[in-house]
Amino acid sequence: MTVILVCLLIMLGLHLLTPYWWWVMIVPFAYGAAAAHSGKKAFQTGFFAAGLLWLGTSFFLYLTGSGLIATRMARMFGLGKSWLMIFISGLIAAVAAGVSGYAGYALRGLFKKAGRQERS
Amino acid sequence: MRWIRAIVSLVLATAVFWGLDNRHGTFPALGKLLNPFAGFWQNGSRSDSVPEKLVVPGLRDEVRVVWDSRRVPHIFAQNDHDLYLAQGYVAASLRLWQMEFQALFTAGRISEVVGPIGLRQDLFNRRFGMPWAAENAVRAFRSNPKAREVIDAFSAGVNAYIRSLGRKGLPVEYKILDYRPELWTDDKCALLLKAMSYTLASYNQDAAMSKIKKALGEKTVEALYPDTPPLVEPVIPPETPLDFTPLPVLSLGTTGETGGGKARTTPAPAAFDFPDPPESRGFEAPGFRTGPGIGSNNWAVSGKLTRNGFPILSNDMHLELSLPAIWYEIQLSAPGVNVRGVAFPGAPLVVAGYNEAVAWGFTNGATDIIDWYDVTFKDEARAEYLYGGEWRKTAFREERIKVRGGATVVDRVAYTHYGPVVRWKDEPPFSNMNVPPGAALRWLAHDPSNEFMTLYALNRARTYADYVEALKAWACPSQNIVYADREGTIAIWHNGKFPLRRKGQGRYVLDGANPADDWREWIPRGHVPHVKNPERGFVSSANQLPAGAAYPYYIGWDFASFERGARINELLAAAHDVTPEDMVRMQADVLDIRARAVLPHLLEIVRKKPMTEAEKKGFEELRAWNFESRAALAAPTVFREFWNELNRRTWEDEKKGDMERMPWPGSQVLIDLIANNPGAEYFDDRTTVEKEGLPEIAERAFRTAIENLEKRLGPEGEAWQWGKVKGTELKHLGQIPGFGRKLPEADGVGHVINAIDTTWAPSWRMVVELGPKVRAWGNYPGGQSGNPGSKFYDDFVDDWAAGKPYELIFLKSADDPDPAVVARTLMRGEK
Repeated sequence: MTVILVCLLIMLGLHLLTPYWWWVMIVPFAYGAAAAHSGKKAFQTGFFAAGLLWLGTSFFLYLTGSGLIATRMARMFGLGKSWLMIFISGLIAAVAAGVSGYAGYALRGLFKKAGRQERS
Repeated sequence: MRWIRAIVSLVLATAVFWGLDNRHGTFPALGKLLNPFAGFWQNGSRSDSVPEKLVVPGLRDEVRVVWDSRRVPHIFAQNDHDLYLAQGYVAASLRLWQMEFQALFTAGRISEVVGPIGLRQDLFNRRFGMPWAAENAVRAFRSNPKAREVIDAFSAGVNAYIRSLGRKGLPVEYKILDYRPELWTDDKCALLLKAMSYTLASYNQDAAMSKIKKALGEKTVEALYPDTPPLVEPVIPPETPLDFTPLPVLSLGTTGETGGGKARTTPAPAAFDFPDPPESRGFEAPGFRTGPGIGSNNWAVSGKLTRNGFPILSNDMHLELSLPAIWYEIQLSAPGVNVRGVAFPGAPLVVAGYNEAVAWGFTNGATDIIDWYDVTFKDEARAEYLYGGEWRKTAFREERIKVRGGATVVDRVAYTHYGPVVRWKDEPPFSNMNVPPGAALRWLAHDPSNEFMTLYALNRARTYADYVEALKAWACPSQNIVYADREGTIAIWHNGKFPLRRKGQGRYVLDGANPADDWREWIPRGHVPHVKNPERGFVSSANQLPAGAAYPYYIGWDFASFERGARINELLAAAHDVTPEDMVRMQADVLDIRARAVLPHLLEIVRKKPMTEAEKKGFEELRAWNFESRAALAAPTVFREFWNELNRRTWEDEKKGDMERMPWPGSQVLIDLIANNPGAEYFDDRTTVEKEGLPEIAERAFRTAIENLEKRLGPEGEAWQWGKVKGTELKHLGQIPGFGRKLPEADGVGHVINAIDTTWAPSWRMVVELGPKVRAWGNYPGGQSGNPGSKFYDDFVDDWAAGKPYELIFLKSADDPDPAVVARTLMRGEK
């Protein structure tokens, strides 16, 4: 839980400072590669941290002036309900982050394996 | 196993990254777009708040921008430079994406943004010489110090805004299409002017007329597409005396003396093959299509007809509907100028509006300033072409069209001294226009001119003399420019630069080898049709024939049909004690005088025939109709279908030879036949053995019309309501779904004063009363902001559709305590 929060706060900071969307892939990847104990954990951390961050932020913006643009975007995508845009924003970030976190963990796995073989 | 897991998950992650970071076809880059911190979520209404202070690099002194409750900026500057710099900054802050998109579109660069789907459109604009036209215009205004100052300041203002933008602040369209604005240059202002010329002054039927002449003979052409058609009341009242001595008009025989060319040495051009344009396929943004839907109304009423004794000027310009709207409202004030009206987002100055002394407005002139010349090239290399018995060198201009996600397309456009060859005989036709293959284009919009100086001077005009002087710089597109001032003068000039033609010159494709067919001289500016303070107490125009048979020069034949002009004149001729409210009501007038002129004749024929139940219902709709083109009525729907069938049955069987279709003559020609010549040969259906007249054709047209409507819309009911059938729609300029607006409740049709049609409509309605304190009302279909996430994006639309204008706020100074003022911004340059 703490890891998710830390991960979320790091991404929040980077998002506020720069316009790049891909922090939701970089940060979980780094966590997965550096610290995650399992693939599942790496995936979940990215998934929930990024998902909650984008879901929460877009929900906040939806309520504070971006409802109309969300409605138009939903129509552009052929979706019936504007709140689906919040859901999709969260989901896209969550999936991208989860996949990326897992990839980071899997990459580390290669080096781990080599280390263990040396020891045995 | 670990290797596989690592490789698969890395590949997957990379694919997800790539998928979200890039556009796929027209599908947006989702990662960038959905990012709540910099994507579309940032384009909400929070950006509607205006800053109290702004640093705008380049300003010399302080500029104060006062915003009223409709988001109209009122700019108060201390010098011209700052005024137009601030206008550029403000225009960009409201409409950046639109102004750049329009410029790119006109320049033939839309493929850079939308990809291969835009290629055909780009190729057309390059071939049509749009970038070349803009380059010529730029040269003209760079050589004029005042124009240069205005446009450079405007561009600097736009760029100050662009430089202040991070990705987060970009208009949402950039995020959806995934590109960034480039810096603004003066040629973009020129491109927008040329876009207007294309929209308003490129429509022509030269290719079709040539074909008809060949198939049916010149007499038929002259009878069906006459120079001075029946029912049409010219813009300039026919009794107006000429205030100039006309020049002798050239004829083919006078070539030797005036043109310097030699007598004809070549045979007449061979017969051309003129295919009709196919249905539009590729990318085509609204706002730039030409066609007979173009129209506008303007009029001015003298103080002797008004209740308050002040002149009233009225103008509504019809253009293609789009969101963001084509206009935005603005007030521009600096020492020497205080002007209010509408402007194009991508160009400085007020285009149509008023100041403290005068008001002016436009309708399209529709003068013939576009011709095609069949060119005889020496050989396949096309390096030389025949002119006046000699071979002249062709110039080639290389057009490089960059295509997003594809290879750059290089096109070498051949230029004769007339202009570019738009399409070769072995090429497929363009959907934009019926271009005669192998012909060179002569178009006035290619010539250097400086229309901005006309606007500059009109913005500052105080008297009639100022207005007349201002008009001289305006070449293209030709416009009926209506004028009224506080002194009580009213006037209208059919204004522009017109080639001095022999009668009928340019109606057909011309002979490019014959100097006598060339444009050689110009009609002197004082000789264009005009009238000041006519006896009848009003001036008016609705794109119709500018001047009657007594006018000494030939300036074209293809003007608007009679309806709007005649209706305006009918209402004004009966007017007295006129108030601005009357003029506002008149702009919303929907009486269809075409129907009024023709239905009594037609119904008299149809009433005697046996009818089915459905036909009886349709007949009853028409019989009971008050001729008003209202959205809730079915009668306008029935009438339109009936009218179209009548035209189809009257005209389409006339085609002969290799004609693919017969363009319908103007409505007044058919109405004249119906009323005065019901036995005319044209009514005979040439595909049948028996001989038909109007009665047979009218009956068949009526039955088919009802049958068509039933087939298309079901039995008569709500689906037949005119508003639903017409389907008025404001599409987004980039055709992004969900960013437009449908208006099934809008009254009107293209040929009534309130000309709200499916895609064309009054783009700015304005009424100005020129009393001691000038008062004005106006509205347009859209809103001040170009941001689809702002409430100011389309907030005028409902009132506009209902014919309700707003009183326009016209401030005396930045400190004016007008209650409509809601915010103020202080702009300063960098220290």
